[in-house]
Amino acid sequence: MSAPASRTRIGARAIVRRFGPVIANDGIDFAAAPGTIHAIVGGNGAGKSTLMRILQGVDRPDDGSVILDDREVRLTAPADAFARGIGMVHQEFMLVDELTLLENLILAREPVHAGGVIDRRKALAEAERVAAMAGVTLDWQMRVADAPVHIRQILEILRLLYRGADVLILDEPTAVLAPAQVRELIGLMRRLKAEGRTILFISHKLDEVMNAADAITVIRRGRAIATVVPGETSKAKLSEMMVGEPIELPLVHPAAPHAGVPVLAIDTLVAHDGRGLPRLGPITLNLYPGEIVGIAGVAGNGQDELAAAAAGLGQIDAGSIRMDGRDITRARTGSFRDLGIAYLSADRAGDGLCLAASIRDNFIAGSEHAPPFSQSGLLRLRAIREGARRALDTLSVRYGAMGDPAKSLSGGNQQRVAIAREFERKPRVLIAAQPTRGVDIAGIAFIHRQIVAFRDAGGAVLLISEELDEILSLSDRIVGLYGGRITGELDRSGASVERVGRLMLGEKAA
Amino acid sequence: MIRAALANLAAAALPFVLALAIGAIVLAVTGHDPISVYALMASEAFGGTRRIAATLTATTPLLLTGLATAIAFRAGVFNVGIEGCFYLGGLAAATLGFWLVGWPAIAIIPVALLAGALIGGAWMVAPATLKVRLGVDEVVTTLMLNFIAINLTSWLVNGPLLARGSANSATPAIEKAAELPRLLPPSTLHLGFIISLALVILYGFWDRFTVTGFRSRLVGLNARFCRAVGIDVPSLLFRMMILSGLIGGLAGAIHALGLVHRFVAGFSPGYGFTGIAVALLGRNSALGMILAALVFGALASSGATIQLFSDVPIEIVEVLQGTVMIFAVAKLGLLLRDRRGLA
Repeated sequence: MSAPASRTRIGARAIVRRFGPVIANDGIDFAAAPGTIHAIVGGNGAGKSTLMRILQGVDRPDDGSVILDDREVRLTAPADAFARGIGMVHQEFMLVDELTLLENLILAREPVHAGGVIDRRKALAEAERVAAMAGVTLDWQMRVADAPVHIRQILEILRLLYRGADVLILDEPTAVLAPAQVRELIGLMRRLKAEGRTILFISHKLDEVMNAADAITVIRRGRAIATVVPGETSKAKLSEMMVGEPIELPLVHPAAPHAGVPVLAIDTLVAHDGRGLPRLGPITLNLYPGEIVGIAGVAGNGQDELAAAAAGLGQIDAGSIRMDGRDITRARTGSFRDLGIAYLSADRAGDGLCLAASIRDNFIAGSEHAPPFSQSGLLRLRAIREGARRALDTLSVRYGAMGDPAKSLSGGNQQRVAIAREFERKPRVLIAAQPTRGVDIAGIAFIHRQIVAFRDAGGAVLLISEELDEILSLSDRIVGLYGGRITGELDRSGASVERVGRLMLGEKAA
Repeated sequence: MIRAALANLAAAALPFVLALAIGAIVLAVTGHDPISVYALMASEAFGGTRRIAATLTATTPLLLTGLATAIAFRAGVFNVGIEGCFYLGGLAAATLGFWLVGWPAIAIIPVALLAGALIGGAWMVAPATLKVRLGVDEVVTTLMLNFIAINLTSWLVNGPLLARGSANSATPAIEKAAELPRLLPPSTLHLGFIISLALVILYGFWDRFTVTGFRSRLVGLNARFCRAVGIDVPSLLFRMMILSGLIGGLAGAIHALGLVHRFVAGFSPGYGFTGIAVALLGRNSALGMILAALVFGALASSGATIQLFSDVPIEIVEVLQGTVMIFAVAKLGLLLRDRRGLA
């Protein structure tokens, strides 16, 4: 920080990174001045994460280079980037739950007495020093498992300070925070900036970016579209740059008012997440044939658990799920599917697809035991080949060969394979979680049309999305989810960005 | 398609080539001529019908222990308990082989083989249940069960099942009718080789053309995904572990009826563990495992005689075996790929 001021503390020059057929970064340029908060905004799949991985030395560009202190550098490993003062806080925190905040802080850089015993007193003094520097106070003896999420995030930032980082890359740091905590975080960022540190603030929340950043670089489809100053732009202009041309919204006909019995009825359901923490409920929600119900909420407010429960994958504590009036709360996932519930997972690489398996195998997975794909336990390879070709063509999936692994496809085409697989089962209910995450604009419009066509044919859709535009343009009803509970419901006609936004933030619909 | 097959073959051959290179260094350092030693080994393993028969005899148990391991591995279960199943299957088959006096071959052989397979499968019920119900790591349980199986069988042949008047820890010899027929007398090659080969080939078909084969491969690649598309993952893992144990038990039974003709303490020189290397080296594919089992079989059969004809100690063969195993486990393909990234 005492070094002669450079014009660019960290930046990129024409960085290109390809993954098979997918171009994640297509010649990205940007430059962050020292002692500033530089925001990088862009939609999901725009190429932000790849760029950050490159800046952090985890990944290497195919072409172009990273700029540090006005010079081109070649980062060979994260340790290399770290030695040059660059540290990153990932969306998924890298903390050891069983250890205390203090232990996590000093992990891998423990102050020791002679003989290798940890010097606790010195560790605590160091911890207090970085905390004071950042203007925060923490209970250092608390275990991370017991710490609320914003404390964990502050701890991650302090850990970078403890290790001497002066460029902090924060990847969507506000995604998991409540509004008051967001303000707190932005205050912390400003204090760090005042000390001369440089912050790269990755986000797609334009309010926060406009509020906190000194400069904003917009990334779209792997390119840096523009770098602007908040005072000279507006949220509308930014979002226009992020999206490119205005999205052509699929024509949504107002659905017929729900008649008769719900096809899927969720009643006072309570569920927990994979770590056993209560996340959802109690929640009551009915889904009728021929409607799209949009679930609006900030990530981490129970959407994942709701989607999992509705798809037969949930960890349910109480309440019930009924399909056509039949209780399936404790039924196996296979029964959910056999009754006509289809699922597009938000975690495409995790349980949405098997990326290592072939496109064909992904297409028949879950239907491999029944005609036409098999008979008496034997696969019918020809029927599989023909069925897959027909279904993939219907969805205009662009693939090389059907035996290629699914990971060779672009994000949009991967999702089309998942849709092809789910629609092949002729479902009556579709659970669509973040259906267009990581999909390009053309793909988004296509997927939206598929969802609407499914609805028009009498299907019921539970649409869970963090994209407000998506929720607003597709949903017949919009339900807000906050802290695992429903905050309110809006009709299509009564919905607006502001009103849905309030629902997402836990304020009751007025 | 052909290019991919060649690449696979090269990837599978690479560990063996590297092992030969390291073995050559060891030989040269200890004052031997690597080329002449390797030539001697090759002729000991494949030079003439009798030598080939000996190699195939040595290959037989490895085909099945490799197969047993691969069935678990491809479903993502790291079952290292085949050694134990091999002991138990061998003991069960040998015991029935000398108990069922007067039974015709057509009855006694199937019954004894079936018993061996069943006890191997039953041996896996506990670790499979623990894994599926409680999430207990199968590596620990199956590895520990090996020691129990080895010591349990050792105790049995030193006590209740000890052959009368025998000083060794061995059961009585099995009935003549229980012995698997020899294929090429006077060599020891027996019907078990054909059975084992047939089962591995059958596995190849199962792998490609059956619903269960498809499912277990997919579960091995991504179990979470399989759960989400409605496949009953715990049940599948359970069945694959039992099947793996059945084959492991059968391997021991065939070894007892085909070659040893009784059960003795120290029944297996680590066939179950070599099976792990066979499965890894063969990438769980039928053809790959047949080749890998042949490699280890050839090393074993040539190693046995090589020290008779040269001053090369048998340990060099063990060095070679160990090196092949190490390189088989290492993902050499990754190494090649990484170098591109670092350039």
